[in-house]
Amino acid sequence: MLKVKLRRAPRLDPAVPRAIPVTEGAALAPPLAAAAEAARFTGRAGQVLDLPMPEGRVLLIGAGTPRRALDWEMAGGAAAAAAGKAERLAIEARGLAPGDAAALAAGACLRAWRFTRYQEKPEPGPAALDLILDDPDAVAPHWDRAAAAVRGCLLARDLTAEPGNRLTPKEFAARLKDLSEHGIAVEVLGRKRLEEEGLGGLLAVGRAAAQGPRLAVLRWPGSIEARPIAFIGKGICFDTGGISIKPAAGMEEMRSDMAGAAACAGAMLALALRRSPAPAVAVLALAENAVGADAYRPGDILRMGSGRTVEVVDTDAEGRLALADAMHYATRRLQPRAMLDLATLTGAIVTALGHHHAGLFGNDAALLAEAGVAGEMVGEPLWPMPIGERHREDLRSDIADLKQCATGRFLPDACHAAAFLREFAGDRPWAHLDIAGVARRAEAAALGPKGPSGFGVRLLDKLVSLYFEEPEHH
Amino acid sequence: MLDIAFVKPALPRHGALVLPVAEDGRLEGLAQAIDAASGGAIGRALAAASFKGRKGQNCTIWAPTLEGGAQGPSRIVAIGLGKPEELTPEAVEAAGGAILPLINAEREAVIAAEALAPALAASLAMGLLLRSYRFDRYRTTEKEEDKPKLERVAVATDAAPAAKSAWAPMLAVAEGVFLARDLVSEPPNVLNPAEMAERCRSLERLGLQVEVLGPKEMKKLGFGALLGVSQGSANEPRMVVMQWLGASGNNGGKAKKPQKPVAFIGKGVTFDTGGISIKPAAGMEEMKFDMAGAGAVIGAMAALAGRKAKVDAVGLVGLVENMPSGTAQRPGDVVKTYSGQTVEVINTDAEGRLVLADVLSYCQERFQPRFMIDLATLTGAIIISLGHEHAGLFSNDDELAQRILAAGKAVAEPCWRMPMGEAYDKQIKSDIADMKNVGGRPGGSITAAQFLQRFVNTKQGPMPWAHLDIAGTAWASKDLPVVPKGATGFGVRLLDRLVAEHYEG
Repeated sequence: MLKVKLRRAPRLDPAVPRAIPVTEGAALAPPLAAAAEAARFTGRAGQVLDLPMPEGRVLLIGAGTPRRALDWEMAGGAAAAAAGKAERLAIEARGLAPGDAAALAAGACLRAWRFTRYQEKPEPGPAALDLILDDPDAVAPHWDRAAAAVRGCLLARDLTAEPGNRLTPKEFAARLKDLSEHGIAVEVLGRKRLEEEGLGGLLAVGRAAAQGPRLAVLRWPGSIEARPIAFIGKGICFDTGGISIKPAAGMEEMRSDMAGAAACAGAMLALALRRSPAPAVAVLALAENAVGADAYRPGDILRMGSGRTVEVVDTDAEGRLALADAMHYATRRLQPRAMLDLATLTGAIVTALGHHHAGLFGNDAALLAEAGVAGEMVGEPLWPMPIGERHREDLRSDIADLKQCATGRFLPDACHAAAFLREFAGDRPWAHLDIAGVARRAEAAALGPKGPSGFGVRLLDKLVSLYFEEPEHH
Repeated sequence: MLDIAFVKPALPRHGALVLPVAEDGRLEGLAQAIDAASGGAIGRALAAASFKGRKGQNCTIWAPTLEGGAQGPSRIVAIGLGKPEELTPEAVEAAGGAILPLINAEREAVIAAEALAPALAASLAMGLLLRSYRFDRYRTTEKEEDKPKLERVAVATDAAPAAKSAWAPMLAVAEGVFLARDLVSEPPNVLNPAEMAERCRSLERLGLQVEVLGPKEMKKLGFGALLGVSQGSANEPRMVVMQWLGASGNNGGKAKKPQKPVAFIGKGVTFDTGGISIKPAAGMEEMKFDMAGAGAVIGAMAALAGRKAKVDAVGLVGLVENMPSGTAQRPGDVVKTYSGQTVEVINTDAEGRLVLADVLSYCQERFQPRFMIDLATLTGAIIISLGHEHAGLFSNDDELAQRILAAGKAVAEPCWRMPMGEAYDKQIKSDIADMKNVGGRPGGSITAAQFLQRFVNTKQGPMPWAHLDIAGTAWASKDLPVVPKGATGFGVRLLDRLVAEHYEG
């Protein structure tokens, strides 16, 4: 993450470009005004004007007509993108409300994130940010709060970017244990404990890999008397598809099949960093879906943690098996007041909604509406999708309690997966976010470069801050 | 079509007697009478079968012995209506549909509907009628005993006149649904564009004005997109314009100033091979129903005219066959649409939107309607998105969308709203033309809707518009409460209900 300094005045260093967010139609100082007019820069959102000036580069950043923190974040993101190869960037935030100033910095940090761990000589780019303010002390608490969510998001991206040979289930668990330094209690259940718990779904999915599956349980105690909110994450460190193996083209992207678990971990970090009063837990199903002599097969029948039996149809629909057991574990052991699962679950959701909305399913209208509001506020939009009677009927099995997925052509597999998961939600308010279409960006956007997006972290953090920091909910 | 009558209650002496019973309800009226005539045997038999009137329950009692050796019905069918407080028209319709298979082997049936309000008695009959649809035109060797026998159904009610007046418009709508189902069921060698246009023309008997445009007229108009799709087929394309002037013209002969009409547009690809981007062989026979959007529009126009709806409505259908051949359109071709916008054809199997594009802009320009709703079996992606329960609803107008959702819910033709937006629109940018006709797999139904929207927002500015992607709902792979397996006629009732709720009078 950018090293952010809250300063009263810009450094006198021509190597540090100074970004000035300009709202649409706002007046500019004379030398800038002439240049802006000549270049037809009006302050429209998305416009950027890079002006070489004697004291260094000035970047005019179109901020449009900002109404929400998100709009300022996007302007901050545009500033970071415009900085190019400069190592340090200054953003002019004097005259802005403290929250808006903090949002500029948050946006810049999100956009400037890069994953360079495996590059000897990464392209140069911003590593530090000066946020120029009238009153740094007034902005500091706002920035701390915003930075918590940013850090959480970037943790999720870091984890998601890691390749499958590095971020194995064991390594993922070890990285999660590092979160204990922030006051998060981390417990990792290995194969033996999973067997004792009877989590036959997760065990089957992780069976063929050299490293066995794990269930990571993260607890943030919060400070109010309330049952925790639970985040359930799909953490398939690499997904070959198993015996129902995937086609080779594009399979490398399956290193991100743990983006849901990464997002849940990031959200926990965000809550801990900002000392949220809300108790929260995350239950993350970590496994590698490998091919092997001992791999689970289509046709196998699994006994899940809840005692239900499931007929496996397609070993590449492994996420719902792992998640179902994690959901069951959460409902039984942790009695959450609400439960949200995040998963790169289906290709069908990509066909349905593309890359601009995650699919939102669930059993509780209030929770779904709240998740939708939170997503809208942070630029992680959700779109409600149905779980119909037919979707459940399609999962009837001739031999077990239910089938893992349906068979045939043109299957609404995202709906089927949600109908499957609903069977394991118990009576808890539950929402399921299918993030397969949004976990990675195919190209850079305002709040992030090409690559993992960290989708879900800021949404969960916002959801908690809006609705779960009082003892009563619903 | 079943003959349905509303009559005063009287015990039948043959055929079936149907007893609709609410949950934990008592036997009343004819039900009580037959129970008494059997010396209480009916009540005992129902109790023995644990029949409690729950939704979905039914129980058949064969040829009960009546006191004094009186002649009675050959079967008594009790059907559960569910909880009395949940007796909505939709629930009663579904119960009516569930009756049909239980009495289909009798020639005649009496339904003891005295306990139902007259409008609900009519809804029960509507469910039964809709479920009784059968397309057997091409069966020549079916054995007599395998055919359904049911010919006449008498709905016994103490308020027969009220039930009859509720029934008259329902019957007209059912006829529209059956028409749509017939069109969808017809094989593609019979129902080509010219034949489909002829069937539209036959609706002039209902008071519809029908115009048929052939390739020459469409070429003159500049329908480059529609004609590009049809150019590979030996069967010429047609566009049919149907007008019902129920508010201003045809209603009692008193012509008034024409209203801005409501407009329905249908995709009518009478067979879709995919063209040069040919489809896989498996399941291709289903592509005869790629005209179901047009079928629904035609059925809806027939329904509106049949019940003399007080509305001005236009229905436009673009009818083509999409074939591969030496003259067929190729991937890479650029066509000019009626609106003037150009389209790069990337995939000849994304032809429906090309047909709709020309018809939508023509409709908008010629009629300047209050709104336009198009129906189309447009994308496989909508089936992958939603399955077969909901049609995909795309709209630029929240009020219209809400009304469509409500109308669909009321008539068992549910829709689910899907997103649109600029981010999706970018996916159909073309390097050589104004747009391309596919935007890739992600959000495939959405980009199809974005494509159509570009033909709604032209010249006169944006207009309220909705697009129903009915690829998943036009055909039922198994029996549904008011739809037998096969062509559903999805859309006819929805459009009719929408008009009845908001746009009449």
